[in-house]
Amino acid sequence: MLSRIAESMFWIGRYVERAEDTARLLQTHLRLIIEDTTAQVVDACRNLLALMSVDHVKDPDLTDLLRILGYDPSEPTSIYCCYASARDNARRAREVIPLDLWECVNATWHQLPTTPFGTTGAHVFLNWARERSAMFAGISRGIMVRDDGWQFMSMGRSLEQVDMTSRLVASASLTHGGTQWPAVLRGCGGHDAFLRTYGGLYTYREAAEFLIVDARFPRSIMHGLLAASDSLQKVALNNVVTARHAEPALRSLGQLRARLEYADLDELRANLNQEMSVVQDVVAQVSTAIATSYFAAQDPTAWTTEGTR
Amino acid sequence: MGDVLSDYHTGDAFDEMVDGEGSVRPSYQAVYSALSGSTSDDLRTIAESLANNYTQAGVTFDVGGVERPFPLDLVPRVIASPEWEIIESGVAQRVRALEAFLSDIYSDARVISDGVIPSKLITSSTHFHRAVWGIQPGNGVRIHVAGVDLIRNPSGEVRVLEDNVRVPSGVSYVMTNRNAMITVMPEAFANQRIRPVASYPTRLLTALRKAAPPGVDDPTVVVLTPGVFNSAYFEHTLLARTMGVELVEGRDLECRRGKVFMRTTAGLQRVDVIYRRVDDEFLDPVHFRSDSMLGVPGLVNAIRTGGVTLANAIGNGVADDKLVYTYVPDLIKYYLREEPIIANVDTWRLEDDEAREEVLDRLEDLVVKPVDGSGGKGIVIGPRATQSELDALRRQVSEDPRGWIAQPVVQLSTVPTLIEDGLKPRHVDLRPFTVNNGEDIWVLPGGLTRVALPEGELVVNSSQGGGSKDTWVLSPPPHRSVSHRGSTNHTDDADDRAPAPPPPRVPLTVAKIPMTVMPKFAETQQQEQDQQQQQDQRPATRRSPGC
Repeated sequence: MLSRIAESMFWIGRYVERAEDTARLLQTHLRLIIEDTTAQVVDACRNLLALMSVDHVKDPDLTDLLRILGYDPSEPTSIYCCYASARDNARRAREVIPLDLWECVNATWHQLPTTPFGTTGAHVFLNWARERSAMFAGISRGIMVRDDGWQFMSMGRSLEQVDMTSRLVASASLTHGGTQWPAVLRGCGGHDAFLRTYGGLYTYREAAEFLIVDARFPRSIMHGLLAASDSLQKVALNNVVTARHAEPALRSLGQLRARLEYADLDELRANLNQEMSVVQDVVAQVSTAIATSYFAAQDPTAWTTEGTR
Repeated sequence: MGDVLSDYHTGDAFDEMVDGEGSVRPSYQAVYSALSGSTSDDLRTIAESLANNYTQAGVTFDVGGVERPFPLDLVPRVIASPEWEIIESGVAQRVRALEAFLSDIYSDARVISDGVIPSKLITSSTHFHRAVWGIQPGNGVRIHVAGVDLIRNPSGEVRVLEDNVRVPSGVSYVMTNRNAMITVMPEAFANQRIRPVASYPTRLLTALRKAAPPGVDDPTVVVLTPGVFNSAYFEHTLLARTMGVELVEGRDLECRRGKVFMRTTAGLQRVDVIYRRVDDEFLDPVHFRSDSMLGVPGLVNAIRTGGVTLANAIGNGVADDKLVYTYVPDLIKYYLREEPIIANVDTWRLEDDEAREEVLDRLEDLVVKPVDGSGGKGIVIGPRATQSELDALRRQVSEDPRGWIAQPVVQLSTVPTLIEDGLKPRHVDLRPFTVNNGEDIWVLPGGLTRVALPEGELVVNSSQGGGSKDTWVLSPPPHRSVSHRGSTNHTDDADDRAPAPPPPRVPLTVAKIPMTVMPKFAETQQQEQDQQQQQDQRPATRRSPGC
C-alpha cells in the first residue's frame, strides 16, 4: 500500500474516533457542569479545555466550550474539524475506500452544522456525531477487506481511543463531589456493563480499573493498546521484508501495557493525572514511530541535471 | 395533463429531440413517453434527486479550489444506431491518423519533407517537445486515450470541433451519469436497448497493460494525479478505483537507474505503466518546468530507456494544436489514403495574410480561439464581444498570428434541458472517448454530452458553468447481426454492442431448505406469554395449561 494512502487511512481512523470521543467527553461534562451546583462554570470549562490542550481562551463559558469542541471550523479540536479532516483524508484515499464508507464520511461532512447552537441543541448534535462514528465503524467493519489499509485505520482508531479515554479518565479528577466516576463511565457507555461486572457495590478504585486495565471493555485503555499492537503485528506479518519497522512502536506499546497492568491501583488513582499524561505521551511517541517507519518518504533522492551525470 | 414540450420552442439551431415540424424524432420516443406525463414539479423532483445523488457521492469538479457537484440534466442526449456507426468510424479514423502523425513527427517527419504541412507548423508549436524525439513506445501507441469534440451544425451535419490527445477528461461523468439516470428514469431504459458504458475501465486497463515495456509479464499500472486540488481529481480517483490500481502523486514516485518506483509501506515497488493526468510541462523537472512539484525527476530518461511507459505519451500536444487541426483532413488522406468521414468546422489560419485580413475585417461575426487553449479559456465570440474586447483581440492576433484561429459562429444543436421549471433548448456538444490498445481503437458508445446552461451560450465547457447529459447510443434492431456491420466495427468482441440472443429457458430447480429458527422458540413463546399475563390479569375465561 502507498505510504501516503496508509497515512491517510491512519488519520481517518484517528479523526472519526476523536469526533466520537470528543462528543462523549462533552456530553459527560455538560451534564456534570449542570448537575454540580457548587462548581464554578468558568473553572470547569477552563479545566476541560486544558485537558484537550486548549488554552487560548480567557475565562471560557459554556458557549466557548461548545464552540471550541463542537462546531467551530477554525478550532482544530472541534468535532467539526475532526469530521472535515476525516473527509479530507478520505478524499485523498478515495480509491481504496469502499463506496458506502466514502458516502458515510462525505454525507457526515455535508451535514455538519454551519450555525452556532446552545446547550439545548448541543445534545442533538453530539448524539448525531456519535451516531455517525458508529455508522462509520459499522460500515467499515462490515465491508472492508482486512488489508493493510484496514490495519492502519484500526491502528489510528485504537490509538486515538487510548488517548481520548485517558483524557476522559483524567477528567474524573477535575470536578469534586461524588458524581464524576459514574458520569465518566456513562460517557464511555460502560456504566451498566461496569455494574454488572463488578456488582452494585463498587468503589472508585474499581471504576478506574475498569476503564484503564480491563481489556474486556472495548473503550478501556488496555483494550486500545492491545488492538493497536495487534494491527501493527498484522502489518508486519503482511510485509515480511519490512517487519522490523513495527518494532519501535510495538516496544513502546508493550512497555506501557506492562506499566499499567502491574501498577498498584491505589497509586495509579492517586497519581491519575500524571499517569494519564504518560499514556498520552506514549501514544504520541507511537504515532511518530509509525509515521517514521511507514509514512515518511524514504531517503529523498538527490538529483542532478543531465550534464553532470 | 400538461405536455412537457407544449412550451418548447426550438430556435435557429438543429434540435436533437424535436424536428422542424415540432414532432418528436423517433430516437427520442422512449424518452418522450417517459417524460410526457410529468408536471414541472415532477421534473424538479427528478432533478433534485439527481443533484442529491451527486452531492452525497461526491461527484464533483473543482473550480478555483471549491468543489461543486457536476450538474447533470435529466433529459438525455440520444443517438440512433446508424448515426453512431458513422461517428464511431469517423472518430477512430481521426485517432489513427493522429497516431501516424505523431509517430512520424517524432522520427523522420516525412509529412514535412513530402510537403503536406510546413515545418514551421511543428517547430512553432509550444507542445512539440524535442526531449522525446526518437522515443518509440513499446507497442507503438502514443494516444492511449483520446477525446474528440463533435458538434452538430444547423443543417444537421456532425463536425469535429477539436481533438484532445493529451489528457482528455470527462469520461468519469459518462459512467456516473449513467448510474444516476438508471435510478431516476428506469422506464426509458426498460423500453429500449441502450449500449452500456461500464466496460470503459476494463478497456483502459487492458490497453495500459498492453503498453507495458517489453519483457514485463504482469505490469503494475498506476494513475498519476496532480493531487486533490485538481479540477478532475474525482475522475482520477474513479478511474483508479474502477481499474483497481493505485492512484499516485508525483511525490509517491521516484526514479532509480532508469526505472520508476512507488513508495509503499513495504518499501519501493516497481511501476511499469503510468496513466498520467499531469500535463507535460509538470511531468519531469529535469526536462520541463524545473519548479514543478507534481512531477518525477528522471521520468523522461526512464521512458527513453524503456523502464516505464507513459500514457498518453509526452509531446502529444503537437497533434491537438488548433492550427494542426486545420490540417487533419490532409493528414487523414496522407497517412490513411482515406477520405475524412467527419469534416472539420471551417477554419481560417490567421498566419495566412489574406485570411487574417478577412478575419480582422469581420471579427464581430466570428469565433476566435487560441491554438493551444483548453477548457474554453481565451475564446472570443465576436457577436457577443464588446468593442474593447474586439480591439484587444485584434491587437493580440496581429502580434501573434500563429497563436490564433478563427471559425464562423456555429449554432450548436440543442437538446431540451430543465431550466427552472420547464424544458428549454440549450446548446450541446459531444465528446466521444477512444481507447487504443495497439491493435484496434475502441470508441466508448456515447461519450460526454456537455450542455451550456445560460440561454444562447455556445461555450459548453464545464469550467465555464456548463452541465452535462447522459448520452444514449441506441442498440441496432435485433435482426441485424454483428457480421453485417461492415468495416466500421473495430472492436474484437461484441459484448456491449448487439443484444445477445436470449438464453434458452431452463426450468429453475433449487433445493428448498427451510430457514433455521431458534429452536422451540415459536412454540414456547405463546405459552410463556400466556402464563406471564395470567399473573397480572388472572382471566377466568382463559384456558391455563397445567391447571
